[in-house]
Amino acid sequence: MTVDVLLQQFFNALGLGVMYALIAVGFTLFFGVIEVVNFAHGEVFMLGAFGAMVVGTAMAGAGVEAGSVTYLLAVLAIIIIVGALFGAALEKFIVAPMRGAPDIMTLLITLGASIVVREAVMIFFPDGRNPQPFPQMIQMDSFNIGGALIKPETIICIVISAILISMMYWIIEKTALGRYIRATAQDRQAALMMGVNANRVFIITLILGSVLGSVAGLMNGMSYGIIKFNMGFAASIKGFAAAVVGGLGNMYGAVVGGLLLGFLEIFVVSFLPNGSSYQELVAFLIVILCLVFRPSGLFGEKAYDKV
Amino acid sequence: MFFNSGLKKAMAVATVAATSAVMLTGCGGGGDKKTEVVKIGFIAPITGNNAALGVGMKNSADLAIKHANASGKYPYKFELVVADDAADPSTAVAAANKLITDKGIVAVGGHFNSGCALATAPVFHKNGMAMLVTAAIHPDITGKGYKEITRIITEAKAQNVYAGELAAKTWGVKTICLINDRTDYGKTNASQFGENAAKNGAQVLSDDGINVGQQDFSAVLTNIKAKNPDCVYFGGMATEAALIKRQMADLQMNCLFLSDSGIISDTFNKIAGPTAEGMIAFNIGKPLEDLPGGKKFMEDYAAAKYPEPYDNLGHFAYDTVMMLCDTIGKNKVGTDRKKAIEALRKAEYDGVLGKTSFDENGQTKNTLITTYISQGGKWVAYDKASIQVKDKKIAAK
Repeated sequence: MTVDVLLQQFFNALGLGVMYALIAVGFTLFFGVIEVVNFAHGEVFMLGAFGAMVVGTAMAGAGVEAGSVTYLLAVLAIIIIVGALFGAALEKFIVAPMRGAPDIMTLLITLGASIVVREAVMIFFPDGRNPQPFPQMIQMDSFNIGGALIKPETIICIVISAILISMMYWIIEKTALGRYIRATAQDRQAALMMGVNANRVFIITLILGSVLGSVAGLMNGMSYGIIKFNMGFAASIKGFAAAVVGGLGNMYGAVVGGLLLGFLEIFVVSFLPNGSSYQELVAFLIVILCLVFRPSGLFGEKAYDKV
Repeated sequence: MFFNSGLKKAMAVATVAATSAVMLTGCGGGGDKKTEVVKIGFIAPITGNNAALGVGMKNSADLAIKHANASGKYPYKFELVVADDAADPSTAVAAANKLITDKGIVAVGGHFNSGCALATAPVFHKNGMAMLVTAAIHPDITGKGYKEITRIITEAKAQNVYAGELAAKTWGVKTICLINDRTDYGKTNASQFGENAAKNGAQVLSDDGINVGQQDFSAVLTNIKAKNPDCVYFGGMATEAALIKRQMADLQMNCLFLSDSGIISDTFNKIAGPTAEGMIAFNIGKPLEDLPGGKKFMEDYAAAKYPEPYDNLGHFAYDTVMMLCDTIGKNKVGTDRKKAIEALRKAEYDGVLGKTSFDENGQTKNTLITTYISQGGKWVAYDKASIQVKDKKIAAK
C-alpha cells in the first residue's frame, strides 16, 4: 500500500470518525448528566439534515448563492433551532414525565419517540420514503494533499467538529453552567442542595447534545449528498457504540470512541482482503472485545453500585 | 298408480319452477346480472428501500385491473389485492401467506427483489398458487422447476452475458473491479458480468461486497482507485450506485462505471446529481417508448392520474396483471387455482412488452436487452445518446 492511499484512507476515516464523535458526545452527555440512554438522538441527526436541506433548497430557489455567508448562516441557524427545539421538546414531553421511572421505561419511551418521528417524516414529508438529494453547500474542488484527494466538505466537517467539541470542553470545564452540569452529573442530590436548578441543567444538556446531533446530520448530508428518513437509526447505533466504548458519561471518551469506530471501519476495508464485506462485523467485534476487557469503556470510571 | 306418478311429476315440476323463481329473484334483486368476482394478488415493495419502484408497480397493477374490467372481454370482475414485501424476504413470505389464505385469490403476480421471490417461490409451490414474477431476475427463481412459478421478465443472466461481452470485446475493457451489494441480485449480476467479461479476455482484479444502506464507500473506492482498473461494475440498486458514483467523482476516478438494471430509476439520477452523467446500465427489454404498447401505457398511466410515477417497472407490473387477467378470463379459470397454474404455463399474451410465452421452466421467451446511459439527468438508450464510450467523455465529473 502506497503512502497516498494510506493518507487517503486516513482522511476518509477522520471524516467518518468526527461525525460519530459528535453523535457520541450527545449520548454521553445525556447519560452522564440526566442518566438516560436517549435512543431518539438519531432522529435529531435526521431532522437536522432535513432542516438544512429544506432551508438550503429554499435559499437556492430564492437566488442566494450556495456557499455564500448568508446561505451558510441561514443553514447554521436552522440547524441550531432544530436541535434546540428537539432537545427542549424531548425534555418537556418525553424525559421529564418519566423522571423517577425505571431506566428501562425511559429507554423504551425514547425508542418509541424515535420511531414516531422517523415514520412521521417518511409519511408526511413530500416523497419522504425516498432518499432526498442534499443541496451542494460548498462550491469548491477537492484539495490534493500529498496525493490524497480531500473534499472541502470533509475539511469543513473536521473543523466544525473540532470547534464544537472545544466549545463543549470550554462550557463544561470553564463556565458556571458547566460547573452546574458537572455537579448534577456527579451527585444530583448534593447539587440540588447546593442550589443548582437541576431542571434547567437537564433541559440545557438536552439542547446542547441535540444541537451537536443536528450538526452531525448536516455534516452527513454535506459529505454524502443524500439524506433519508431512516438515516438516524444507523447513526444512533454507531454513536451509541462509540460513546459506550469511550466510557458512557465521559465526553473525551466519546470523542475517542467515535474516532476509533471511524478508523476501524475504514482500515478494516483497507487492510483485510475483501474487508468491505466485514466492515461492520469487524468494527463491532472490536467494540465487543473492548467492552469485555474494559466493561466501563476506555475512559469510563470503574462501575460501582450506588448505595 | 298412474295418477299417483302424474301427481309426483307435477309436484316435481312445480318445485323446480318455484326454486328457479326464487333463484331468479335472488339474482335479479340487485338490478343487473352479477358477475363472479375473481381476485388477483400482487406483491411489491411498497415500503422500504425500493418503495419508489414498488409504488409505481402497484399503481400500474391497479391500472391493469381497471383496463381488464373495462374491456368487457372477460366473464369476471377482477379485483386486486396488494401485499407489501418491503423488499425484505421474511416480510415477503408473510405477504405470500396472507394472499394464499384468501380463497378468492386465484393467482399472484409481483416481486421486484430476487431475495423476496426466492423466498416465496417454495411457499407458492407448496400451496399450489400460480405466481407470475414481475421483475425479480435471479435465475433460481424459475430454475427450481416449480410448475407454479412463471416469470415475465428476462432472467439476470441474459443482461450480464450481453454486458460482459460488450465491455470486453466492443469497448476494449482489460481490467475490471467488481462491487456487489451482497444481495442475491447484486452478487449474481456482478459475478456473471465478471465471468462473461473474463471469457472475452478481460481480467477481474477485485470483487468487493458492500452493505445495502451503507453510505460511505470511500475506503473500498480508495482501494479500487489504487488498482487503476479500466472499468468498475456494480451489482445492486440505485441508492448505493448513486453514492458510489458521487464518491468516485470525489476521488476523481475516471474509469468506466457500469451496473445492472436495478439502478435504472429516476432515484439514481436525482441522488447522483451532475455526477450521474455517463453512468451505464443494462436493462431487460427496450425503452418503454419503443415497446409495442409503450406509448399507450404512458398515456393511460398519465390519464389515470396516479400521484406517483410508474418508475422503471410499471409496465412490467401492468403486463403481469394484464396477462393474469387475460389467461384467467380466456380459460374460464374462475377461482380454481390448479387450473390457473396449468393455463398460465400454456398462456400466450401480447402486451406492452411484446409477446410473452413461457419455456419449460416458466421463463419468458421474450428476451430483449438495452444498454442505457445517464445523460443530462435522464436515462437514454445508448445507441441514441450523444455521449459514447469511445469519446472518453464517460468519466466522472
